[in-house]
Amino acid sequence: MKARMLATHVALPVFAIAAASAPAHAADFDWMKFKGKTVTFLANNNPVAQALLTYKADFEKLTGMTLKVDAYQEQQMRQRLVTVMNANSDEVDVFMTLPSREGEQFAAAGWYGDLTAMARNEVAKDYDPNGLSQALLKAATFNGKLTSMPMNIEGPIFYYRTDIFKKCGLDAPKTIKDVEAAAEKIKTCDGAVTPFVSRGLKPAIAYTFSNMLHNIGGTYIASGKSNLCSAKGKEALDTYSRLLRDFGPPGVVNYSFQQISALYRSGRAAMAFESSNELRTVMEGGARLKDTGLLPFPAGEAGQVPTTIGWGMAVSSHSKQPEAAWYFVQWATSPEVQKKMALQGIAPPRPSVAKDPEYRKWIDEEPVRKEWQAALDVLATKGSSEVGYPIVANPESREFIGQAVQDLILKQKPVEQACADADKALDALIARK
Amino acid sequence: MSDTAARLTQDRQKLEMAALSAPAVIFTVAMIAFPVVYTIWLGFQTFSSTGKQSFAGLANYSKLISDVEFWHGLWITIALFVLSLVLQLVFGVWLALVLFHAKRLPGIVRSLFISPFMMPPVVAGMMWLVILDPSLGAANYILQSFGLPPSDWLASPTWVIPTVALIDSWQWTPYVALIVLGGLQSLPPSVYEAAQIDGASAFKTFQRITLPLLLPTIVTAAILRSVDLLRFFDIIYITTQGGPGNASNTLNIYGFRIGFEFFNIGYASALMLTLTAIVFGAVLAFNRLRGAVAW
Repeated sequence: MKARMLATHVALPVFAIAAASAPAHAADFDWMKFKGKTVTFLANNNPVAQALLTYKADFEKLTGMTLKVDAYQEQQMRQRLVTVMNANSDEVDVFMTLPSREGEQFAAAGWYGDLTAMARNEVAKDYDPNGLSQALLKAATFNGKLTSMPMNIEGPIFYYRTDIFKKCGLDAPKTIKDVEAAAEKIKTCDGAVTPFVSRGLKPAIAYTFSNMLHNIGGTYIASGKSNLCSAKGKEALDTYSRLLRDFGPPGVVNYSFQQISALYRSGRAAMAFESSNELRTVMEGGARLKDTGLLPFPAGEAGQVPTTIGWGMAVSSHSKQPEAAWYFVQWATSPEVQKKMALQGIAPPRPSVAKDPEYRKWIDEEPVRKEWQAALDVLATKGSSEVGYPIVANPESREFIGQAVQDLILKQKPVEQACADADKALDALIARK
Repeated sequence: MSDTAARLTQDRQKLEMAALSAPAVIFTVAMIAFPVVYTIWLGFQTFSSTGKQSFAGLANYSKLISDVEFWHGLWITIALFVLSLVLQLVFGVWLALVLFHAKRLPGIVRSLFISPFMMPPVVAGMMWLVILDPSLGAANYILQSFGLPPSDWLASPTWVIPTVALIDSWQWTPYVALIVLGGLQSLPPSVYEAAQIDGASAFKTFQRITLPLLLPTIVTAAILRSVDLLRFFDIIYITTQGGPGNASNTLNIYGFRIGFEFFNIGYASALMLTLTAIVFGAVLAFNRLRGAVAW
């Protein structure tokens, strides 16, 4: 399966054909059509859902529907979803999904409702489906069926302390080698701070590691086989693990976004490679507002190929009220709501929102926000949604990627053995039907 | 009353008893027997990544035997079980003796001693995750204040199991203490009077009288804790998720991830049934021990 490369020049945007017919249906659109119904939303309790649910009352007032929210941390949300869907239960109408992680799997299992027709025929006049990122819509389309609507655009970006860089006589890094050199310099120049931090928790590693692998020019699969033991693969494994092992905080093998954001926000890290979604968390309290620079992850031999994904909202194929559920999905991914979420630091998957004057005013208020938006623009144009192996067993593949990196961080194996063990397991996964 | 009438009366009574106990029986079958039987059935199925199901026979069980991760998980489970149980029994008995003898200890102090086990395991895990963070946590700050080297705690492949055992022991030792305290309070005072008359020291009294008489209670506490310790999950899932690497990947964590993250329900069911068999075996063994030490 080919990597789902994001590009602004997608050949046939999903909704280009729909544009001609949309206005006829938009005029008849009645937000109150399902008044009195209750829609159950299974949410991942991350900044994206938290920002959306700030406006829950607006949805209920607009539609007369009741929104029942079931919110969990990400892994628990998936476990709940697996239980509900395996039981063919209708207790969840709408759920959040990451097409880059589970899209192939959920689509093959038939868990997604088909949104293609509803997104074409049941839309309010200002919904503007064409205005959504066509690349993210394409990433959410499986076998010709649109399975979710994008809520945000995100990817790992590079946060760095401009004051520490200045103190240590460093320029903003342009390449991965610059990052390594900066880490070396900061280690001697400012011993009180951790030079570099990123994800070291096994299931979380693939999110940031994939960016480095692609920047270096590596691929996960070549000729149908796992490719971590290629020269580029080994280089990526070695570089990522060395940065964390030699320049990362103690205990980095248990680090995911919560610990990374906490460390950076408290001023204890000079460089952090973490999700763009963490901007709001990192800036909480204002301590990092004036001394943080933001960039897409610096280039490797293959340039910059940032990881770019987006959470989506899907309607359950077992929902007994898919049309009512669609109304919630439509409202949540509408330009108006996505603009409000953008003002809370959730990057919009609509270029029109990114250009909105109110949003630009918010962006222009702080230099760090301008840099954040500039980094997101690079993600939107150059990004790859390949996080882990592009196979149905993508979640399981991330385990073996994470294991290889942890083996190197903990010095339990040399890189040749770590990648060989990972490739062996991953070949079995690739071959699995 | 004639034989026939007596028999009819008895039959009617049996019928009445059956009817009255039917709800409890139905509930037990539905809530306990059905899930177990269904899990046994699932263990003989195979599920693809997309949820397609097919009969697998004994394939899951033969996979289990050759699965390196299963044996590693079993070893981790047993190591954690032994370490935690020993800590909790030793310190549980000690705490019970303190609470038994320090009768003037204020109620609030007694409550503080036993409060950890009332905390939800998830809360305890989150709390210790923060305390034991190698960079930001209080534990290393305190160590370094005393000039001692910091530790990686939960991030160390070597120390993660002892650390998890300590966290669990911090939480559940008071529970063991309460059980043992109940046993202490039921011991006959006459034997202690006799020991006092004979001039036995406190240590000798404990060694020759208290401990042997308490053994059945201690074994009972061991049985109750064994069931939880062999199924260790909450603290590990919150703190390390089986890491670093797979250094804390107990059988329960492994089975959970296989089933709920990789959707391989058939193999996960086989794993969990194997773990259930191990737990039953441990409980049976302790029960026999309890019979042997009963007085």
